[in-house]
Amino acid sequence: MDNLQIGRHISGQFNEDLERVINNVMHMGGLVEKQLTDALAAVDTTDVTLAKEVLSNDYQVNAYEVSIDDECTRIIAKRQPAAGDLRLIMAIVKTITDLERIGDEAEKIARVALENFSSSQQDLLVNLDNLGRRVLEFLQASLDAFTRMDCDAAIKIHQMDDKINREYEALIRQLMTYMMEDPRSIPQIMTVIWSARALERIGDRCQNICEYIIYFVKGKVVRHTTAEDMKNL
Amino acid sequence: MISISPKALATGSEPLIKTPLDLNNLSPEQVALDINKLNLYYGKKQALNNITMSIPKGQVTAFIGPSGCGKSTLLRCINRMNDLVDDCHISGEINLHGNNIYNKHVDVAELRRKVGMVFQRPNPFPKTIYENVVYGLRIMGENNRRRLDEAAEQSLRSAALWNEVKDRLHESALGLSGGQQQRLVIARAIAIQPEVLLLDEPTSALDPISTLVIEELINDLKKQFTVVIVTHNMQQAARVSDQTAFMYMGDLIEYSDTNTLFTTPLKKKTEDYITGRYG
Repeated sequence: MDNLQIGRHISGQFNEDLERVINNVMHMGGLVEKQLTDALAAVDTTDVTLAKEVLSNDYQVNAYEVSIDDECTRIIAKRQPAAGDLRLIMAIVKTITDLERIGDEAEKIARVALENFSSSQQDLLVNLDNLGRRVLEFLQASLDAFTRMDCDAAIKIHQMDDKINREYEALIRQLMTYMMEDPRSIPQIMTVIWSARALERIGDRCQNICEYIIYFVKGKVVRHTTAEDMKNL
Repeated sequence: MISISPKALATGSEPLIKTPLDLNNLSPEQVALDINKLNLYYGKKQALNNITMSIPKGQVTAFIGPSGCGKSTLLRCINRMNDLVDDCHISGEINLHGNNIYNKHVDVAELRRKVGMVFQRPNPFPKTIYENVVYGLRIMGENNRRRLDEAAEQSLRSAALWNEVKDRLHESALGLSGGQQQRLVIARAIAIQPEVLLLDEPTSALDPISTLVIEELINDLKKQFTVVIVTHNMQQAARVSDQTAFMYMGDLIEYSDTNTLFTTPLKKKTEDYITGRYG
């Protein structure tokens, strides 16, 4: 957080505004992380109560997004942030959009726990577990980098998405084989595919968060660039 | 600099942000003023340290910086207003069309005709609106009534004041509001068709609406003139200028296109100043 140097503005009120909005983003990040952890645990243990809890808590994530968005708009209108401050606000506005969508994906995953999988089909869900754990790690690492605005960490973990994409593709191939072997299981397998898809999307959104960190610290836009370009940062 | 793949850019036909000028490599036709190793001393105190910069033609260049950083001093150098200050000496060059304005043979009155200036507080002469605008032309020897009328109308139109004063051109200029007086002074400055217009905090004594009118006017004026503006109001610099120079304690710290300076300044000092961390 040192490189934010938030407390150094002459205007104490501006300092407070920025601190408040950053604290809220941290809380929102923590909440989204918990939602994903709970959703994965609910699927893993077919815990219907936990799954329902995830569904009912999503409104909190949404509420955070709306209030942070509001706060950022107010800061832009009243303080006219420039340079690093402006990039911080832009990074926050974009990050919370991605966090909110991660919350939605977690909700989708939790719904899987509410489906009736027969014990023979439970094995299908095991496949999700690995991918889920990797995505959760990525989310934690991204939020950690965001908290510290650590550009080097962001560049490093940005690559984690490639692994997730590869695992996702492998999983899809495996699930397709199951479908061919036993067409009656297609409805359940489709449910698993949707969750796998949700996890893959979370990976993409974590990658976006890393890009916003790099934008804030370096002032460079690294969206739509190749891995090669990223190395030359 | 990272390149964005052509695919990503293929969606829009026109770029959203114009490519900024490369201020270090302007071609001679693009340059209005070329300041070269300019040092200025008030007595023993050095107020400007080795300033080198090129101000591009037909654009608005803003000088920003804290009080006492030398931005007004630098602006006043451009039409030799500092000649009027006792104990002020200058080394280095300011070139207008490749000619050093500090050359011994330069006619200062002629220089000030080419480089007009507008000050912080509106200073109309205690004459009629019309006489204020044509004052410069009259002392240049123009007495043809029709030509004076034409010049007055054109200047007042350019200064976005014509519609407000066309029915009372022969009333006293002192009866105008502060914002109108400032636009009248700008009309007076542009009536003699200068090449460069220097504005020294032109809106600091005006209300927000008059300020916006003047800012809009500045944007129109750059089509005809090169505008250099000193402002204490950073947001104003961000709004009106194409290039911004940040000065601090007599040094030119950073000079780049305004979009870059206000989003990704290169120097820490610039960042601290424009984000309100200075001091």
